[in-house]
Amino acid sequence: MGDKADVWQGTLALMILKTLESMGALHGYGIARRIEQISGDVLSVNYGTLYPALLKLEQEGYIASEWGVSDNNRKARFYKLTRAGRKQVQRETQEWEQTQAILAKFLAPREQES
Amino acid sequence: MTWLRAVLARFAGMFQRTHREEELAAELESHVRMHTEDNERAGMSHEAARRDALMKLGGVEQSKEIYRDRRGLPWLETLLQDLRFGARMLRKNPGFTAVAVLTLALGIGANTAIFSLVNGILLRPLPFSQPGNLVSVTGTYPKGAFVAMREQTQSLDVATYFEGHEFNLTGRGEPVHLTGTLVSAELFMILGARTELGRPFYPGDDKVGQDNYVILRHALWEQQFGGDPAIIGKSIALEGTSREVIGVMPADFRFPSAKTQMWIPLHNDSRDTIAYWAGDFMPIIGRLRPGTSMAQARAEVRLFQQRAFQLFPWPMPVSWNADISVVPLQQDMVADVRTRLLLLLGAVSLILLIACVNVANLTLSRAATREKEIAVRTAMGADRRRIVRQLLTESVLVALIGGMFGVLLATQGLRLLKAALPADTPRLADAQIDLSVLAFTGGLAVLTGVLFGLAPALHASRAALADALTSSRGAVGNVSHRLRSGLAIAEISFAVLLVVAAGLLIRSFWALSRVDPGFRTGQILTARVTPNQAFCDDPLRCISFYRELLARMQGVPGVALAACVNTLPLGGRVAKRALDIENQPVNPGENGPLFWMNVVTPEYFGVMNIPVAAGRAFTSADATGDSAVAIVSAATARRFWGSQNAVGSHVRLSSDQEWRTVVGIVPDVRAYDLQKEVPDWLNGTIYVPYNAKGTLEGGRIPSDMSVIVQSSLDPAQVSAALRRVIAGLNPEVPASEIKPMSVVVSESTSTPASTTMLFVAFAALAVVLGVVGIYGVLAFLVSTRIREIGVRLAIGAQPRDVFWMVMKDGARFSLIGILFGLASALALTRLLAGQLYGVSPFDPLTFGAAAAVMGIATLLACYVPTRRAARVDPMVALRYE
Repeated sequence: MGDKADVWQGTLALMILKTLESMGALHGYGIARRIEQISGDVLSVNYGTLYPALLKLEQEGYIASEWGVSDNNRKARFYKLTRAGRKQVQRETQEWEQTQAILAKFLAPREQES
Repeated sequence: MTWLRAVLARFAGMFQRTHREEELAAELESHVRMHTEDNERAGMSHEAARRDALMKLGGVEQSKEIYRDRRGLPWLETLLQDLRFGARMLRKNPGFTAVAVLTLALGIGANTAIFSLVNGILLRPLPFSQPGNLVSVTGTYPKGAFVAMREQTQSLDVATYFEGHEFNLTGRGEPVHLTGTLVSAELFMILGARTELGRPFYPGDDKVGQDNYVILRHALWEQQFGGDPAIIGKSIALEGTSREVIGVMPADFRFPSAKTQMWIPLHNDSRDTIAYWAGDFMPIIGRLRPGTSMAQARAEVRLFQQRAFQLFPWPMPVSWNADISVVPLQQDMVADVRTRLLLLLGAVSLILLIACVNVANLTLSRAATREKEIAVRTAMGADRRRIVRQLLTESVLVALIGGMFGVLLATQGLRLLKAALPADTPRLADAQIDLSVLAFTGGLAVLTGVLFGLAPALHASRAALADALTSSRGAVGNVSHRLRSGLAIAEISFAVLLVVAAGLLIRSFWALSRVDPGFRTGQILTARVTPNQAFCDDPLRCISFYRELLARMQGVPGVALAACVNTLPLGGRVAKRALDIENQPVNPGENGPLFWMNVVTPEYFGVMNIPVAAGRAFTSADATGDSAVAIVSAATARRFWGSQNAVGSHVRLSSDQEWRTVVGIVPDVRAYDLQKEVPDWLNGTIYVPYNAKGTLEGGRIPSDMSVIVQSSLDPAQVSAALRRVIAGLNPEVPASEIKPMSVVVSESTSTPASTTMLFVAFAALAVVLGVVGIYGVLAFLVSTRIREIGVRLAIGAQPRDVFWMVMKDGARFSLIGILFGLASALALTRLLAGQLYGVSPFDPLTFGAAAAVMGIATLLACYVPTRRAARVDPMVALRYE
């Protein structure tokens, strides 16, 4: 259980960072909707788990937050990437691609065999 | 460093809680609102929209809970919470807290005090630069052999020293007798020692003719020269020789021991063949040169040792330095105290174990009363780990408080220890409560807390929920009884072990103090009267000085008799001399047997009350003339002459031409220590009269005689008279070490005395703690059985029956504990064997006495709770909860 959560936390962090990179400053709800949108219906997660992940990223200094006003005039807390966060997106993207490439090599022959 | 940043952020997250909570609530609320609005826009009713938003979020409170775990440091928060709670519990039970803290403070304090000794003496590196490279060569060498070693060894730089040479400081008011250490010029450089003032000796400072230097120790400089910095470069008169003061060493430089007051270059005069090759045999220290190992140094020194035999102008016995080696200097310096310190450490760790067991038992009793509290917590959802953790936090807290008081006790204890241990214990002054000792104590306290807290905590957390909530106090589980009894038995057996050890040491010390040393110890005052050696260049001047001194002393009213001897029995000094014995030739090339040579005035045997067993004592004619006579001890006579009568046979001091006639035999006296007449490396004892022929090795008559005065007067009066007489004769001559013979004797046993005293103190502490422990257990057992006892009484049992029923329980613990204790003592007392005299480590009397002491003590401890049980009023007992 713990392991799965870790994997999820790891990928979730990257998704958040990537979202903020492309969308600029955004509040928690917006990030959640965006992630859901992009992943289609495949990912259905409690939005609640998003907030500890945001907190962690903020503690690590990759994102910063401040209170602002949303499109429909609601008070909301907006998150945005810091400079360290931008670097982290690049680094993690690279790592993720590498992992993916390696895994692909493992997976590819099997698919051919079967 | 991302993680560090995160940890700091989380640490900060523990504060401003209200503000952060408000922010979180606001953020989640805005999330839910936005989501609800979106849903409504998609056509849902307000209620459905909000419910969906909440479900997607996973619940507001649940989300907050996960969020909080991430915001702060949960383990730290829990710890603080537990600590706060623990502190509150301790405040609410002042009785428990006081007893537990006091018990632990005693245990931890004793351990801290002993550990600070172990740390300062055995563990801490020597206070010299790069102490790891300092070594000791285990043999001893005369000057000539040392100089050869200094020139020849490649793997290490060597230096030598000889402590205990004595010097009169004159020309500055009343003469003072000082102890100095002769050192080779390299010594200070090898140790890497810096002077406080002036300079140390440099190589070459011990060249003959350019060696009239002296370096003072800080304390001497202060006392005798008023701390005058202008002393450097001035000359002072030591033994009539003028020496230039070139340096002052700081107060914390104590080499080879705290006894040394000054350092003087070794006089390496190779023309003086006797002194050069047969004078003091000195220890050698060295510093490994860079890149060489201990093994290389050892190999080189062994090779040198083989060559060394050829260097001597005469053949050396093959046994000389036969087992030569090179060992770390520290190991060599503290070899003697090591065993004793480790024994003491073992004893105090037993005390700490007993203290732990005691507090564990207390905690168990308290846990029984807290069963309901714990059950409620469990019911509210605390898991077992959480409960154990909280209980352990509490016990570690108790232990830490105990540890703090323990450190306070230890600072006092260390002072007492330093006073109790013999003053010549190496590095004693280095022992102090420093950071490493405090770290040790802190670690020990935490360990202690876990040790005494774990069993009760596990036990308490296991308590069945339903049972605890429904049952009354009577239903304390069997497990608890067994654990408790086991703990009581354990502490009794630890206490028995310590009592046996203390008993053996007491027996041994008693045997030692009852030893008849073979001479009178009462009504004798001793003093070392030491003219300069140069004063005795003319032996007759020296002899007549002492003779006149004795005559004047005997003229003092109240003084019965006075005499002189070069080495006072049990005085810590030995004079060795090789002898030839008539008709007992030694192999060519070997020296004759070594004897302890006592040079005495004729009154000596009278003052010391040593009767003559055969032949005659010395007469005044022997002293004034130059008659060549000798007296031997009974053991010596047996050893060398056997059944033949030694009287009338002849002996010769090696290097003498003339034979001496043995004129008498006197009984053996314990001169080396209370166990031995002579040390193992000597073969016998000989007495010669103090005349011009009574020469020591080196060919001089002794010039540092001990004067012994037999008088019924107060020692202070005798000593005043002695000082007066000496001042009248020669004001340049100092008198030192003035003390009654009985003090000399008791000082010779200061080591066993201190070990015994400490063990007795520890054993007493162990017995007290053990008694408190078994009292507590039995009192608790009685309190849990009150209702049962009430029933028994109600249906006709007599109070007497109840009394015996409970007493039997107590007696059973005590008996089992004692048996375990005796068994472990059988296995462990052999460790003490080296400290024992005249008693076997398995002495049945001691074992029996220890068992009896512990048996009586525990039964007394049982008596109070047992009486309480017998006096139970059945009506009260049956209503009891």
